[in-house]
This record gives sequence, structure tokens and C-alpha cells, in this order.
Amino acid sequence: MTTGAVLSTRDLAQRLAEAEATIEALLSGQIDAVVDSKSHTPVLLAQAQEELRRSQKRLRDIIDGLGPSMFVGLMTPAGILLEANRPVLAAAGLQPEDVMGKLFEDTYWWSFSPESRARLRATIERAARGEASRYDVQVRAAHGEFIDVDFSLQPLRDETGAVVFLVPSGTIITERKQTENALRESNENFHHLADNITDVFWIRSPDMRDVQYISPAYERIWGRPVNTLYSQPLQWTDHIVPEDRARVDAAFATLKGDVPNIDVEYRIARPDGEIRWVRSRGFQVRDAAGTLIRLIGIITDTTEPRNLQAQLMVSDRMASVGTLAAGVAHEINNPLAAVMANLEFMSESLATMGPHPSATWLLGEFKEPLEEAREAAQMVRLIVRDLKIFSRSPADEPTGAVDVKAIMESSTRMAWNEIRHRAQLVKHYGVVPGVKANEARLGQVFLNLIVNAAQALPEGRAEHNEICVSTRLEGKRVIVEVSDTGSGIPPEIIGRIFDAFFTTKPVGVGTGLGLAICHRLVTDIGGELTVQSEVGRGTTFRVALPVAEEPESKVAQPVEHVPGTGRRGRILVVDDEQLVLQGVKRMLFKEHEVVAVRAAAEALALCAGGDKFDVILCDLMMPDMTGMDFHEELSRVAPHLLDRVIFMTGGAFTARAQQFLSETPKEHIEKPFRPANLRAIIQRYLR
Amino acid sequence: MATKTELSDVKLQLRLYVAGNAPNSVRAIANARAICEEHFNGSHDLEIVDLLDHPVRGLADGIIVTPTLLKVMPLPVQRVIGNLSDTSQVLLALGRA
Repeated sequence: MTTGAVLSTRDLAQRLAEAEATIEALLSGQIDAVVDSKSHTPVLLAQAQEELRRSQKRLRDIIDGLGPSMFVGLMTPAGILLEANRPVLAAAGLQPEDVMGKLFEDTYWWSFSPESRARLRATIERAARGEASRYDVQVRAAHGEFIDVDFSLQPLRDETGAVVFLVPSGTIITERKQTENALRESNENFHHLADNITDVFWIRSPDMRDVQYISPAYERIWGRPVNTLYSQPLQWTDHIVPEDRARVDAAFATLKGDVPNIDVEYRIARPDGEIRWVRSRGFQVRDAAGTLIRLIGIITDTTEPRNLQAQLMVSDRMASVGTLAAGVAHEINNPLAAVMANLEFMSESLATMGPHPSATWLLGEFKEPLEEAREAAQMVRLIVRDLKIFSRSPADEPTGAVDVKAIMESSTRMAWNEIRHRAQLVKHYGVVPGVKANEARLGQVFLNLIVNAAQALPEGRAEHNEICVSTRLEGKRVIVEVSDTGSGIPPEIIGRIFDAFFTTKPVGVGTGLGLAICHRLVTDIGGELTVQSEVGRGTTFRVALPVAEEPESKVAQPVEHVPGTGRRGRILVVDDEQLVLQGVKRMLFKEHEVVAVRAAAEALALCAGGDKFDVILCDLMMPDMTGMDFHEELSRVAPHLLDRVIFMTGGAFTARAQQFLSETPKEHIEKPFRPANLRAIIQRYLR
Repeated sequence: MATKTELSDVKLQLRLYVAGNAPNSVRAIANARAICEEHFNGSHDLEIVDLLDHPVRGLADGIIVTPTLLKVMPLPVQRVIGNLSDTSQVLLALGRA
């Protein structure tokens, strides 16, 4: 046998037989390894196959283990699907053959939307050029439902860099989308609520160092932008008035600790200097483990409620002072009526004593003192009447038509002590109808305006200054003006003068509530209180009041006495006050027959017994049987005498008396009365 | 017959090429031993070469797959490819049928 290229026939036959045996062994699976012709190392056939099979199974297990919520596939650069994880196919009710070997965009998932298919086609073409893509898209799932998918397409390259496969993958994000939407909606709802409430709503970190949220109402109450608070969270306390700061800090210090909620009220200063009251409530928020995770709170602007409360307190106080004044007035009026009646009697007696020497002496000696006493008593009468104007009437409702001039007169008299050393008082009363108001309230308003006007002027230069009060009619409204020649109100504060607690007066002089209350009182009765001012020239307050529709309440108008012309009549006087009885008796006994009784029951008995009277003067408010009871009884026992009754009133009306007088067309005369007036009225009844 | 006599006088030298304990290799070793035990009655040498450990040894013998049984002596060299499960074929190839 020779070596070399030449093989003997025998060798050749053997080689062929060996090759044949080798192939046969290979085919029958009896070969383990093949020696690689280049490296001369054996390559294990079965093991390689097994390894490949195992690793293929592992890969499939991994892919299928992704479950139906994630899609992974493999496709050619042209987009033909070679592989896809089976659970996803099962979830869509698909068999592998439904999608394998097909263009990806032609498969069930994309078949509903031409747009999605076109986009996928473009994405595949980009991926084939080596460009990866990722986007959220909707695909069709089982039962025609649609699911949102986070889809991505990655190119796979071989060692030369050529794109050999594409890997499409998709994660179902429907739930994530729903959660995102729910979160967004909830967030929007929160903002909608929080941004629109008038209270400030805030969320802060447990140490208060961060502001996580603060509602826009902050800007309205604090007068400062919200942004600055986010950037400088500690600025919050900077605007608390210094007196309140320590208290607020202490409260919030406890909230940062173990106090679950706080409630603190304090004042803040706005950039324009205005002080506002706020009520701040804070709460701890803890997680399931009990750890403090944030602080939340609500801040309410309590300035207005506080103002109202303060105004109510002051006006209540004024009202009780008024009630007291009315009571005092009543107590004064009865003895005063007696004083006046007796003084009158004495001076008239002196005048009619005739030319007797001792009478002349007496007259000369006592005429002047008596006159002075009468004048003084008259002044007391006016003062008491003014007091009554400021008292509260029973229901505190408009008392019908009110004479603004009379009230202004009373008010200027009350304020005279403030006016006289500061200014000259000028009055311009135009003829005006009654207004719909409450006397006492209107009196408060006028008095306040006059006192304010006076206090705007310096003391001691009365001849250089002027306070002017005026009334006039403008259409359906009565205009009352109070002006002064004071320093005027600067424009920057004129907008705030009707605010409660706003005062330019030194501490202790004013409460800052006067104009606020005036404004409310005037507004309450349908009027309007406005101000005009010029710095250096003075200020005018203008009250516009609605004209009353009903006529003025009926008060006996005094008629000037025409002496000695009347006829003699028979007069019944009923009053529980002995002094009043005596005084009235003295006033009238020379001209008339006077029957004086101290109890209404007694008077009723006389009338029922057939006594004839031309006039019955009856006190309205008496302890046992009142004038009203008397009137009612009289209508039963002696109705013909009803129109002979004139009521005498002393002040303080009860609600019943008020109603009685407004419903009964009866004349009444207010105590104390001047004898001349009384006589004149009686004369009318005798004609 | 002379050849036969001549052959039978020479001690039989066998060499089995295997690949680790791959299934056919394991089976081939077991089959080779059983055949030798039964038919050659100890007058033989059976060498087992693991190609995974000694890849170069197969090169000299022109081995291209495993398992391969090589009859080294007496000449001529004969090879049997496969797991040696067909005993008659193996004996035939070894000239001892």
C-alpha cells in the first residue's frame, strides 16, 4: 500500500464501506460526536441537540411565563411574525397558526384600526433600518374589547450589524391608565374644591417647613401672592400681628407634636395695613403605622362675623341705655308735670290777684324767679324728651312717619356740649315729609354724625368753624346732611371709614364702630349713608331716607291759648300720680269743674253711674287698670263718652301701648304739658 | 485457512474511541467488553480512548465520529462505527465470525 493520493481499489472499497457505515450509524442515531475537520475536536451531537432543545424550552418557558399581560414576539425585518408568547395568543382566543407567518400588522390585534396599522407598518420599517420605537397604543383583545398597551419594537442585529430579527413587545397598561385617570380626576376634583372655597385650605410637611398646597383664598385674605409662600414657607407667621404671634407659634408647636388638632384665632396684617381676624384649625394626618405624614388645615376669615358681633354688642348696649333712659324719662315726667302745673298755677295766681298792695309786692318779688323756674322746668322737659328719642321703641321697627327735623333738633341739643366750643351750628331745614324710620335709631345716627363732625374740629376756634345740618327733599327721598369744615378725610382711607374698628381717633376716644353701626342702621331701613370729603375743606355725611307712605303719628298739636274765651266744662282727670292730679286740677279748676280720681276703676264707676263729662283726661300707663283697659270698659258701660277721652302719656311705652295708640284714633298729650296747651285742647272739646 | 490460523495466532488489539459518557459511547463500551469476554476469551487488548480528553489521538487513526471501534491488530485495520449493539456485525468486521 502506498501513501499519497492514489488509493488501491481495496482501500477505496474500505473507505466507501466505512463512510456508508458512518452514515448508517448517524442515521440510526448511534453517533455521539463528530470530529470537526478544522479544529480536530469532537463535537457532541446528541448533547448539542439536547442542549439546544433545553435552552429552547427554557426560552419558551421564560417567554410564556410572562403571562397574558405581556406580549413578546419575534419577527423578520419585513414584519412577518415568527414567534409569540402563547398565553397572549390564548388570551385573545388565537391559535398560533392564526398569527405565525403573517404580517404583524395584519393580525387580529391591529385589524380594527387603519391608523394603528399604518403606524405599525412605519414603525416596522424604521426598526428594519435599526431604529427602536416605543409608544402607547390601543389594541384589540378577546371579545372585541380594547386594551391599552405600552408597545415597543426593538431590532436584533447579527455580528455584522445587519438587522436580522425584530422583537415586538407590549405591556398591558389599561389598569395603569385607569389608575392614572382616577388619580388625575381625583386631583382635579380636589383642586376644583380647594381652589374655589372661600376658606384657605393648606397642606404642610409635619415639620411645617414645606408648603405642599395652599388654596388661592390665601391671596384674598392675606392680600399676598400664594407663590411667595411656596418659596418661603415660614413667611406665613411673618404677617401675624406681633401680639398674637407667640400664641399661634405655641399652638402649632403642639400640632407638630402629639396634639391631634388645634383651633386658634389670630390677627394678620395685610400689605395695605388692614388687620383681619382669622380662625385657623389644623389637623394631624397619620399613616397606617401612626407616623405623622403631614399637617392639614383650614383658615376662615372671621373679620366680618366678629365685626357684626361687636356691632351687635354695642348696639345692644346702646339699646339698654335707651331703655333705661326711657324709664328714667317716665319717672321724671310725672313729677315734672306737677312742677310745671304748680309753677304755672302760681304765676297765674299772682297775675290775677289784682291791684292789692301785697299782691303787687309779691308779683314784683316772685315774678322773675317763677319765670326762671318755669324756663328751667321747660328745659328739663326738652332734655327728657330728647332722651326718649334715643330710647328703644318696643319692636325696634320703623315707627311710621318720623319727623327728621325734630330728631335732628334733639340730636344737636344732645351734642351741644361737643359742638359749642368747636364750631358754630348752622341749620338749613327744608320742608320735608316724614320718613320711614325708627326715631330712636335715626337719633343715634344723627347724633353720631354730629359728634363725629364736632370731633373733626379742633377745640377753641368755634368762630372759625362751622357744622351745618340740613334737610331737603330729593324725589322720593329725604336728604339729611351733616357737614363740617374740618380737616377732611384722605382719599386712601375714605373707602374704609364705614368698616368696623376703623378709627382715626386716639385710643379710648372712639370705638371705631360708630360709622359702621350708622351705616347698618341706615341701610336696614332702606336708606343710604354716603360721605364726601375734601382734605383741608371738610367732610359731608349724607343720609338719604325713604319718604314714609303713612301719615305722621298723631300727636296733639298745641294750639295757642286764647284766654278767657271758653265755656266752663266738666273735666274728669284720672292719674295714679297724686302730684299730677293736683297739678292738673290747679291748672283747670278756675275755668272748669274738675273731678280728679287716682284709679281708672273709680273713674269707670263714675261714668257708669251716669256722670256727664266734657273731657276725660286719662293716664295711659297705670298700675292696676291701665288707660287702655279703661277705654275698653268704657266702650261697654258708657260708649257715648268714648270720644271725650284724651290720653296723657309719660314716656316709656309698652309694646301694647304703642300698638294701642297707633290703632286707636285717640288724641294723646305728652306729659309734661304746658297749661296753655292743655287748656287749648280742652277748649276744642267744649266747642 | 492459513490466514485464519495466522490471524488467530496474533493477539487481538482493539481500540474504542468514545466521547465522554455520551449515551452511544457508554453503550459501545459495554457492548465491546461483553463481546470480548464472550468471544475472545482474554486473548485480546481493548483500549478505550476518550476523544474529549485526547482529541489528537483520533487524528492519527483518522477518526471522524464516535463511537468507533478500531481493530488495530492483526492487520488489516478495520473499523466498526456505532454503538456495537449488533454483535454479529461486530464479529464479522473483526474477522471472527
